Amino acid sequence: MKQFSISVSSGIPIYKQLCTQIERMILTGIFTQGEILPSVRQVASELEVNPMTVSKAYGLLEERGVLTRLRGKGMAVAKKEQKKSNQERLSVITEMIDELLKEAALMGLSNSELTALFKEKIITERNQSEIKE
Amino acid sequence: MSAVISIENLNKSFDNQPVLSRLNWTINQGDIVGLLGKNGAGKSTLLKSLLNIDDIDSGKISIFNEAHMSLSIASKERIGYVPQENDEISWLSVTDLIKFRKQFYQQWSDEKVCYYLDKWQIDPRKKMVELSPGQAQKVLITLALASRPELLVFDEPASALDPAGRRDLLKELVNLACDENITVIFSTHITSDLERLASKIAILDKGTICYFDDLDKTKENVVRLTLHGKQLTQQHIPNALRVEVKGDNTYCVVKKIDERWLQELQQQGIKIDVSPMGLEDIFLEITAS
Repeated sequence: MKQFSISVSSGIPIYKQLCTQIERMILTGIFTQGEILPSVRQVASELEVNPMTVSKAYGLLEERGVLTRLRGKGMAVAKKEQKKSNQERLSVITEMIDELLKEAALMGLSNSELTALFKEKIITERNQSEIKE
Repeated sequence: MSAVISIENLNKSFDNQPVLSRLNWTINQGDIVGLLGKNGAGKSTLLKSLLNIDDIDSGKISIFNEAHMSLSIASKERIGYVPQENDEISWLSVTDLIKFRKQFYQQWSDEKVCYYLDKWQIDPRKKMVELSPGQAQKVLITLALASRPELLVFDEPASALDPAGRRDLLKELVNLACDENITVIFSTHITSDLERLASKIAILDKGTICYFDDLDKTKENVVRLTLHGKQLTQQHIPNALRVEVKGDNTYCVVKKIDERWLQELQQQGIKIDVSPMGLEDIFLEITAS
């Protein structure tokens, strides 16, 4: 089973943590279109959380069109139009950037340090993927 | 959703010292309720009153739509209870105690008994008095689960258990919640146990259930606010639980954000940080005043 990880004592409700995580995993290709997600029961016993929490997360993602319920099979990753998903990608990444900025501010990193680091990372990342190709 | 337990206007005192006063509470089928309260808040008294182990002074309690004083045998069979202290017959061996208890129930799972005793490595030949408090509690939990109850009442189930035992118990409760529409109440002061499992949390303080809501909603609603460069007092912050002014900033905890108030302040150009809180902090804030 693909691993979810949650932080129980965080102030963010577990179902929300699961939603964000599943969305990220879909966007980053860990879950592919049409792939069946682990059952509510599997996730609940794996994470030792209330099964209702897991179904709540799945239900919400179904409402948002991220997942589709397949009768008798469970939840699968929905098929998506490219355009819409680009927008969603941006919104997810914005959220992650916000978190990063908060952390950076706490650590006392300056804006220029952060941008420099970001540029540097993009370049190394690009180079590495070129080598792989 | 049908109510499994409903309590109206419950009063209970010990030697003229009120412990529970005008307490109202309704628990629906399928709820997994964590009951939080400080030491001496009356958690055990509430659970014992509910199950008619302790007499109440006044009030009305019904379980499965029957008055709790005259609960039918059929309804009693649907309840599993694990007390905080082991008050089982101490001179019986574990095997004999299980045989004795089995007679009271129609639906008894010998499989479950074997499974747990084996898993928890309890020697059934030992007498109850010879077991450690943790082992004795595991036997009590086994007894409560073996009767396949629909309502489980746990009074501090984890108090004598080691971390591994607590995890086992939580895992089992997760499984039960998956399989059956079981209703669970468990009192505890270990908030992390609740965060994994509870669908609702109740806080018992000053003799009443002063807070009862979905755990998720609670975490979304109760937040810590930082108002930068603005000094405000308690009466100017809606739903404030606690307000503290430090330097130019105001730090406060609110039960729920008043969106209009927040927008007004933001329109005035005030920077406001909203940060979520863990259950332990929330519990401390709600019971602090």
